[in-house]
Amino acid sequence: MSLRTVFESQPDRRYIMFGGKGGLGKTTLSATSAFWLARQGKRVLLFSVDPQASLSDIFQRDIFGKGPVPIIENLWAQEVDADRRIKDYQEEIRKKILDMYGFDKVPEEIDNYIAAASAEPAMEESAIFDAVVDIIVKGDYDYYIYDLVPLGHALYYLSMAKVYDEWINKITKLRQDMRQYDQVAATMRREDTIAEDQILGELMYIKERINASSQILTDKKRTAFFFVVVPEEMIILDTKKAAELFAKFDVPISGYVVNRVLPADLGQGNIPPYLRNRITMQKKYLEDIRGSFGSEVLAYVPEMERDVTGLPMIERLARRLFEEDRG
Amino acid sequence: MADETKPKKKGVLGVFRDIVYGMSSHEMTRHAVRTRASMEHLFILITMGDLLGVPILPPYYALRLLPYVTPQIAGWKRRMLRERDVTDVLG
Repeated sequence: MSLRTVFESQPDRRYIMFGGKGGLGKTTLSATSAFWLARQGKRVLLFSVDPQASLSDIFQRDIFGKGPVPIIENLWAQEVDADRRIKDYQEEIRKKILDMYGFDKVPEEIDNYIAAASAEPAMEESAIFDAVVDIIVKGDYDYYIYDLVPLGHALYYLSMAKVYDEWINKITKLRQDMRQYDQVAATMRREDTIAEDQILGELMYIKERINASSQILTDKKRTAFFFVVVPEEMIILDTKKAAELFAKFDVPISGYVVNRVLPADLGQGNIPPYLRNRITMQKKYLEDIRGSFGSEVLAYVPEMERDVTGLPMIERLARRLFEEDRG
Repeated sequence: MADETKPKKKGVLGVFRDIVYGMSSHEMTRHAVRTRASMEHLFILITMGDLLGVPILPPYYALRLLPYVTPQIAGWKRRMLRERDVTDVLG
């Protein structure tokens, strides 16, 4: 199996994630896959919620907080600006309070609460969560490629989906129980109708979004999660641990991509001992990877002679990865 | 509406039945309304607990509900933070 056969044989898997430790080439592989899919005529959105996102760097243009920016035909890239999103959202809440009650200004206590909420780390996380939901539930693209933050965060994000799922289900249930008491009171007062519960309406809206997003993330038919590894001892160990944890969260792991593989012909000829040692070491770890992940390895990506930035370099890597490499 | 709710003319017995019914159902209505109010406070605690220092899981979504409970916040805080003593149990 190669990365290409995964995409070709499972066209329903439209939500693609590359995960791995920091600096292993998640963005490179996300961008390369997005590029290749777009060239195959698929409409692709490549997005990131990392405040230190690298999409701007790899495409060599500033796309931060600008919404989906067209890169080539069929390919859009988006970097979410979480801070901006939170600020706009706070403003929206304030405005809603003013509109609903005809206040001149938001009561001080409430306003302080709105302001303080943004200072919490959990605020940024849940805002980012919502930003991702926003992107994926729309479903306008053939492929969504999520350039994830490093593993720990990815895992946190996925567990959040599960926790939010339970949270929203519980409070919606409580609200529905409250509704029944309203109904009882109304019946006994011989009133025919009760006022619509706007909170319940909002909860249903939130519930729908959270449920939809956590379903997508763990759906083996629609989602593919690839681990990026490099042939180094610590990375291999960490990846194995992460794979176990991910399996617990029902993440549909679809395979491994080995990045930064030194070209085999480099070992020939007269080379300095330092480089020779590196090559020998890599060989050993490549064996280790084959032994541990075996047929789940979808690609060995060569270490390029220069950084993968800019479209020509991405195109070269895409050709190498999808046209020449067959696993 | 006004016609529907207007009681029809009844005999002495009918009026008496209405009074009994009204008395018992009034008690039940009060109970339903009070339970509903307690649940409302519980609901605000679960969604807006941050106001009292109870961390709330997805603050982004909690904030979305804030406008709807804005008028109740002051009363809710008073209830949650007031001192309690043994007379509360009797009451």
